Amino acid sequence: MDIAPYALQLFSGLSRAMVLFLLSAGLSLIFGVMNILNFAHATLWLVSGYVTYSMFTFLSQQFGASPWMLLPSIVGAVALMSLLGFALERFLIRHTYARELPEQLLLTFALVLILGDAIKLIWGVENRRINLGVKPIEMMDTLVNPYQFVIIGAGVAVAVGLWYFLHRTRFGKIVRAAVFSRSMVSALGIPIPLIYSGVFALGVGLAAFAGGVFLPLLPMSLGVDHDIIVQCFAVVVIGGFGSMLGTFVASIIVGVVYSFSILFWPDGALAMIFLILIVVLIWRPWGLFGTELRY
Amino acid sequence: MKSAAPQRAANAPGRRFAVVLLALFLLVPLLPGEFWTVVGTEILILGLLAMSFNLLYGYMGQISFGHAAFFGLGAYATAMLFTALKSPDGSIGVPEFLLSLLVGPPVAAVGALIVGFFCVRLTGIYFAMLSLAFGELLFYIVFSWYSFTKGDDGIQGLLPPHYFQDPGNYYYLTLAIVVVALLVMWRITESPFGYIMRTLRDNQRRAAFLGINVRLHMLANFVIAGAFAGLAGALWGPFSRSVSPGLLGWQESGIAVFMTLIGGAGVFIGPIVGSVIYTMLQAVVKMYTVYWPLTIGTIILLIVLFVPGGVLGLVEKQIKARQGRLSDGGGARAGSDEE
Repeated sequence: MDIAPYALQLFSGLSRAMVLFLLSAGLSLIFGVMNILNFAHATLWLVSGYVTYSMFTFLSQQFGASPWMLLPSIVGAVALMSLLGFALERFLIRHTYARELPEQLLLTFALVLILGDAIKLIWGVENRRINLGVKPIEMMDTLVNPYQFVIIGAGVAVAVGLWYFLHRTRFGKIVRAAVFSRSMVSALGIPIPLIYSGVFALGVGLAAFAGGVFLPLLPMSLGVDHDIIVQCFAVVVIGGFGSMLGTFVASIIVGVVYSFSILFWPDGALAMIFLILIVVLIWRPWGLFGTELRY
Repeated sequence: MKSAAPQRAANAPGRRFAVVLLALFLLVPLLPGEFWTVVGTEILILGLLAMSFNLLYGYMGQISFGHAAFFGLGAYATAMLFTALKSPDGSIGVPEFLLSLLVGPPVAAVGALIVGFFCVRLTGIYFAMLSLAFGELLFYIVFSWYSFTKGDDGIQGLLPPHYFQDPGNYYYLTLAIVVVALLVMWRITESPFGYIMRTLRDNQRRAAFLGINVRLHMLANFVIAGAFAGLAGALWGPFSRSVSPGLLGWQESGIAVFMTLIGGAGVFIGPIVGSVIYTMLQAVVKMYTVYWPLTIGTIILLIVLFVPGGVLGLVEKQIKARQGRLSDGGGARAGSDEE
């Protein structure tokens, strides 16, 4: 049996899974803490891709082209987008906490439309991508883009870092406590509004990181966010709201299933993901790793 | 119902408004040019879709992000029968045309029965997610099943019979069908069944204590809403002369949600007023700029932040405040469980 095409699909599936994880982790945190389902999450990811692109181009012009210029560009984009996330929570999202779910969805969906057009205004309608000029390497009788391993490595590193942050640091423990009981955390004298802004900024920061890291592999184009956000919803629900481990496992399931489905049903690869989502929602609506309590 | 009389009195402004709205709709084709007649047809069809969505959202309290799937199913059912019935030269007789319109709602209702069977087991965000997943699944099936649905290309050449090719005539056909549909919907929402829906929206557990079969009633409402969405879909194909998979997608569902929230989910005719505002705005804004999403996004943002009940919700609040001043709160309270 020729394993080459399967190996190729596996690696591209895993790198796709990492992007889904980075986005869904933020989505899940924001939903867990604030009960806000952020429709604009993937759009913020897209914006950060464009921001990274502009920074990369600028730095390359100033200091000469080098793949390493991607690093400061990503750091810059993450910082900028986190600030934007902080401001969005402060000035917009905050006003909807007391509202019904559809109104919250609508507010973040309005942001999808506004940010999408803002991209069109600032960067135009052409696709943007970065060519790092990395040579593909030969592996298992096929050529693999080594940058995929960078993405997979970065994704796993962030997953571990996030776990450490949530379980071993003070702020992380406060965030987890806020998921469990907001009023109790507030009663302990912890400034909940600050926690909210911080978590939103963190979530957007993770998305921004994903946007920057993925840029050399996939061109940023208008409208991609609409596809990605529903897949992220699928990941969060399949894994279970509030469960980081679940989000991680579900990202890998969705990423790998998607890239293998492409082999035999190119147009319907996404249909497979929604089929899994339907089965999970019917069988255990609280997700694979979620608890029945939160359902 | 003992309280029927004061309710009807409190609802009088609503009725007057509906009559004025209908009169305005009747006058639209008299405007010079075909532009506003075409826009008016779109307002009516998408308004019917939004009205059917509001049966789930405003009355049953569940938000569906896959409602356009039934709009699309109705559109495709009509388009396929239409294509099968039309003669080789592309023309179609009036009876065959009306028959192809009739097939939309039942097909959509069957789809809604299957999807709803699973969806009504869940509520809130899980209901929204499952309806989204089913909607997207149906979208991708239509999108990729090329031999049956023509996939990405959609079905073209849905030219209605000669008489209905005139935008004015098609407009009046649409208006007649939509008005009848809305009257039926009004009957449903004001029936005991409609009041069970309000109970399910406000407190499902209490409804169950009262002996109401929660899932069965939710499913019935889901199927009714699906059938009306299918009717809107049936009208869409011959109106735009084609159908495409995009009609089933979640962005299309989003339009129904927008219209409902702009107009006001708490008022019966809210969604169609939302459709008037949304579709007219779109027609006008698109004449001047390609940045329509930015415009509508900003409007939605402002509505969510400053006009939570939608435009009609705001109007209703004003009317109630005035009635409250007149009769010291009595009239306002009688009207508060209305809609």
